[in-house]
Amino acid sequence: MTAGARGGNLQKKNRIQKNISAWAIMLPTLVLFAFFIWEPILESIRLSTYRGIGVDFSRLRFVGLDNYRLMFIDPNFKAALSNTFIYILWSLIIGFFVPLIMAALISETAHLKSAIRVAIYFPNIMPGLATAIIWTFLFRPGPTGVLNIILGWLGLAPFNWLSARGWTIPLIITTMTWKSAGSTALIYMAGIAGINPELYEAATIDGAKPMRRFWHITLPGLLSLGKTMLILQIISVFQVLYEPMMMTNGGPNNKSISMMMLVYQYAFRDFNYAMGTTISVFICLILAVLTIIYFALTRKVSNE
Amino acid sequence: MQKNNIKRKSPVSGFLDKIFYNKYKKKREGAIRFYDMSSPLVKIACAAIFLICAAMIIVAVFPAAWAILAGFKDLKEFVTGKKILPVSFSFAGYAKTWESMKFARYYLNSAIAVAGGVVCAVLFNGLLAYVLGILRPVGHKVVFALVMWTLLIPPTTSVVAQFVNIHKVVEFFNKLAGLDSMNSFFNVMPLWLIMGANAFWLVLFKEFFESLPKDYTEAAQLDGCTDLGVFTKIMLPLSMPIVVVVSIFAVTAAWSDFLLPNLLLSNSEWRTVMVRLFEFRTAIKVTEIDKLHAVVFSIIPPTIMFILFQRQITRGVTVGGIKG
Repeated sequence: MTAGARGGNLQKKNRIQKNISAWAIMLPTLVLFAFFIWEPILESIRLSTYRGIGVDFSRLRFVGLDNYRLMFIDPNFKAALSNTFIYILWSLIIGFFVPLIMAALISETAHLKSAIRVAIYFPNIMPGLATAIIWTFLFRPGPTGVLNIILGWLGLAPFNWLSARGWTIPLIITTMTWKSAGSTALIYMAGIAGINPELYEAATIDGAKPMRRFWHITLPGLLSLGKTMLILQIISVFQVLYEPMMMTNGGPNNKSISMMMLVYQYAFRDFNYAMGTTISVFICLILAVLTIIYFALTRKVSNE
Repeated sequence: MQKNNIKRKSPVSGFLDKIFYNKYKKKREGAIRFYDMSSPLVKIACAAIFLICAAMIIVAVFPAAWAILAGFKDLKEFVTGKKILPVSFSFAGYAKTWESMKFARYYLNSAIAVAGGVVCAVLFNGLLAYVLGILRPVGHKVVFALVMWTLLIPPTTSVVAQFVNIHKVVEFFNKLAGLDSMNSFFNVMPLWLIMGANAFWLVLFKEFFESLPKDYTEAAQLDGCTDLGVFTKIMLPLSMPIVVVVSIFAVTAAWSDFLLPNLLLSNSEWRTVMVRLFEFRTAIKVTEIDKLHAVVFSIIPPTIMFILFQRQITRGVTVGGIKG
């Protein structure tokens, strides 16, 4: 009896020691998470209720939610918000379908598969800043731009590309898609490879031609993956920042300014941190909603 | 019907079968199979699909290849020339930009930022993943939930408050040590440490640790090994595949990042390659060809890493299922 109790005590002591050592091991990382991620979120919300220049709270004035009212009447914000919808529209047309089509086509070839796989992922490791600068060179207007030289081969006149009316956002999205499509396509390809081959064989026996097999087996097999990719796509479009910043500086005439660019300008050009965080909290709210949808969808995927 | 086919086979189509279509015998994924090759329409479609895929390779590689090749042009040729390729190949232009912009120093700075960042990424995320996945002390579920919640909030959205936080602490330490706030090395350290708080990499580590057999860790614990000892002597060596994947992601992220580095290191002697590149946005004195050379310098290290680790990288994408 006493021995048992002593053993219990020892076990309890041991367990406490184990817990302490485990918490000690994870404490440094938790400090990092708190400092770099958790606290800044709360700080953003607090800062967005103040007004003034800089971050010294003694010099800032508490204004409640008034910054959000200011935000909605700011013409730059209105431009950025409506641009965001154009960004989303184009990223659905170009950014969403291109990787899907790429994956479908690559899955139907039997040659050079690993070379294609490696090559299409290559743009993904390119630094975003370098990508934006290179594509700005490629889009250079006038007869010396690379794409205009290629147009010249086809007997076409030089084009203005990024400064052409209505083309700015689609071309920025093209640049972004060039960089990211490969990695998304690899994920779709893994999805296609995971489809049971017997489904295709059964369909063949039923007399379905390749095109019908693709429509009725491959595409439905990618449906759930496609939904999550769609949400991820929209989430990333809300954070568009350096492409318009480097390629057009938000122009021409605010036609490509994005919400994150506005955050950056308010905070780090005008030092109006309060207004910057107001917009970023607003973006954050939208993204949180989208991400909750994303998680709901992925949970369904893993249950299936 | 099959007999008919064999009879009609011309030498050309026989040759095509041999070099192209026979490979479809091994195809097991996607809609088209070898037995569909009896239809000429499918054969044409397969050839067309292959050509499109070859075009994808060209499109994916062209911009970077163009940048490297165009870098051989001189300024006049680059600005006014109407040819895509340079007239002559000489490294003089590259060497001149490298010298005049002192790129060696930026390379060194970037290397320092990347090396420390990778160590932090593996160490801190690995430790937390080890505690949450293996040790599981009281409260580990709450901590994990908190970490997962951070996946909901994209890091760029809190960049303002994050910078405000970092700035305060860096200034505090600079004052404490009496250092010049522009060139102090304390400005670089946040770039290392921030890599240690990444929920995506943490989840990758955690899932890998949980898939390892429990025998090793239990045996080591019975031998009196401490929890930290189990991590460094057993978990990390067993987890090299995921360590490599996270390291590659971390190298790419640390090398490419410019937002926070630009805020922390502008005008400092610790400026990284990307910060220098970002400064071109407002620089007036820089010529177009210098700009192009700098871009090429910035893409060479990631390209070399990609060529060396291409298999691990492309596999890592599908394992992690995340966008790098």
